[in-house]
Amino acid sequence: MISTSLQTFRETMAFPPTWIPASPQWVNFAEAMKSGPFLLFARNSLIITFSIIVMQLAIMIPAAYAFAKYRFKGKSFLFGLVLLAFMIPHQVTFIPVYLMLAEWGVIKTLLPQIIPFMSNAFGIFLLRQYFMQLPEEMIEAARIDNASEFAIMWRIMAPLSKPALATIALFSFVSHWNDYFWPLVMTDSASVRPLTIGIAMLRETEGISNWHIIMAGNVVLVLPILIVYFICSKQIVKAFVYSGIK
Amino acid sequence: MSRKSKRFLTAAALLIGLSAGLLAGCSGNGSGEEAGGTSDADQPKEGKTTIQFWHSLGGKNGEYMDALIQRFNESQDGITVVGTFQGGYDETVTKLQQAISAGTAPDVSMVERAYVQLFADSEVLEDLKPYLESSGMSEDLFTEGLMGHSYFNDQLVSLPLNRSTPILHVNKTLLDEKGLSIPKTWEEMKTVANALVVKENGEFKRYGLSMPYDTWYPIAMISQADGRFFNDEGTSIGFYDNGAGEKVFRYLKDLQATGALYYPPAQDSGNIVNQMFLEGRVAMMFQSTGVIGSLLGSVDFDYETAFLPQDVKFATPTGGANVVMLEGSKNKEAAWEFIRFMMEDPNGAQQFILDSGYLPFTTKMVESEPMQALWEKEPNRKVAYDQLQYAVDTNKHVAWPEVMHEFFSAIEAIMYDNEDIPATLDTFKKEAERILAE
Repeated sequence: MISTSLQTFRETMAFPPTWIPASPQWVNFAEAMKSGPFLLFARNSLIITFSIIVMQLAIMIPAAYAFAKYRFKGKSFLFGLVLLAFMIPHQVTFIPVYLMLAEWGVIKTLLPQIIPFMSNAFGIFLLRQYFMQLPEEMIEAARIDNASEFAIMWRIMAPLSKPALATIALFSFVSHWNDYFWPLVMTDSASVRPLTIGIAMLRETEGISNWHIIMAGNVVLVLPILIVYFICSKQIVKAFVYSGIK
Repeated sequence: MSRKSKRFLTAAALLIGLSAGLLAGCSGNGSGEEAGGTSDADQPKEGKTTIQFWHSLGGKNGEYMDALIQRFNESQDGITVVGTFQGGYDETVTKLQQAISAGTAPDVSMVERAYVQLFADSEVLEDLKPYLESSGMSEDLFTEGLMGHSYFNDQLVSLPLNRSTPILHVNKTLLDEKGLSIPKTWEEMKTVANALVVKENGEFKRYGLSMPYDTWYPIAMISQADGRFFNDEGTSIGFYDNGAGEKVFRYLKDLQATGALYYPPAQDSGNIVNQMFLEGRVAMMFQSTGVIGSLLGSVDFDYETAFLPQDVKFATPTGGANVVMLEGSKNKEAAWEFIRFMMEDPNGAQQFILDSGYLPFTTKMVESEPMQALWEKEPNRKVAYDQLQYAVDTNKHVAWPEVMHEFFSAIEAIMYDNEDIPATLDTFKKEAERILAE
């Protein structure tokens, strides 16, 4: 991908494929960025993904805590509902959601790309399993020290499950940063669109696409993911190691 | 005490949250039934009317389309057109369907020609005849072969915009090496394609002919063999009983067996055949006119285009997209002004077509000086237009998108899995009749 992004059109079409471009074509990046309001797309992508992650964490941690450590009526039923939400694909819900949001008149804002993802069923599930592994004694000790439930949750449970939270946040980041389908169906104007659609706009509908330009766009798209991955990778490895021991 | 109440609160909050979500989901379901209407947040700035225009053009063609819109916006003061890319042709159709029912549809949209019937049948497209007349234009101005999908129940529901057609692309250098001339009939095609095959150690190094995995090419050949995709009544297919379908697929299978035809894998087939053609691994291909521009810029051999070869007669389907006006638009006069500009003004679609290489669709465009000059310089482009005299679209039906999926399955069964041809077509016919009867 990086190699193609630096090639000329002729090099992308050559057979056998070119591995190292004769002279790196940095202009491809300029060309890709020039073809649309990419700064705006990047800003939208950032706002959308980060608001999703923040809200997901805010909702997920209390929910997972309740499911893991409380006993209340209808708990398994409610948890079943969460799992059910986890199993319904987007393709089933996008039309009703679009119609609903159109009625609220928010189609021209970023909300349609954020609201439907505020709760993350997969995250609740994963985090619940993780919370369940944490010893009950710790919570009881905290309660004896007069800690409020809120404090237990945020100051004991959450820090202890950093690896799980990092995993969920990263998965969430990657899937929403890369999402193409949902933003495409939920947005009607360029001003609220994320980077992925900007990249798709580089493709030809008919005819031969300029792959070198598209790949330049892709490199820009993927870069943040790589950066976030390098930051989080330690935590993720930990999460897998922990769950492996059990 | 406080712990208990907190527990209760947490549970209650969860319950309320979940049920609110469910309720919201349900009410969303029910509320979408009001049809039509453009609710526009981009309200006119300084007394200007804003027209929303949806299109499916990305890449270079997208830039040419943006340039067209800009030319229109600069040409007058009253109207601002906002063009938005809505994904490929199929994605645009999905988006239009949901937007029409949600009341967020645009004023003007590009619709792939085979889907026009689908929207016309739901009565969401404006009849353009009165507008055409009010501007002193007539339907005779348009190239007849490209108007096949424009009519529905006597209404003019769409006009051509970015139209293409399949043609034969030839690596003339390879043919010259063997002293072959460009085939004009199926029989000649068979001889030429077979003569071009290169086989080394039981492996094909070069094939004669290729075409993308698409319904377009079999449909073209069905028409050439004097069949029709749908019968005249639109109740069944028109290439089974007369044997045209079997003839087409038998011909393709015969070519495939000797390496004269390379039938590409379904995924990304268009790119694969383009690539193989550029590398000289196939000598000829059936492919859209849309690739002429890029091929001219990247071939290192003598490249020519020609009519698709004939069997009983010459025939070619058309492709690409038309432009429609949505019935729910609140600014129809302004919307028409934009469409009129595209159709008539030399700075409208004419310039876009010169830039992009799509087919000119009015006599005025064809006769215009820049178009003639371009054809003079690149005769390959003229071939496609000349072939339009044989244009016939026989897959015109509201149910086409659904039947298309079945036809793809039939093509797969025959071309990839070597299923029996008559049996596959028989199954397809029954399935098509079932869909058409609905």
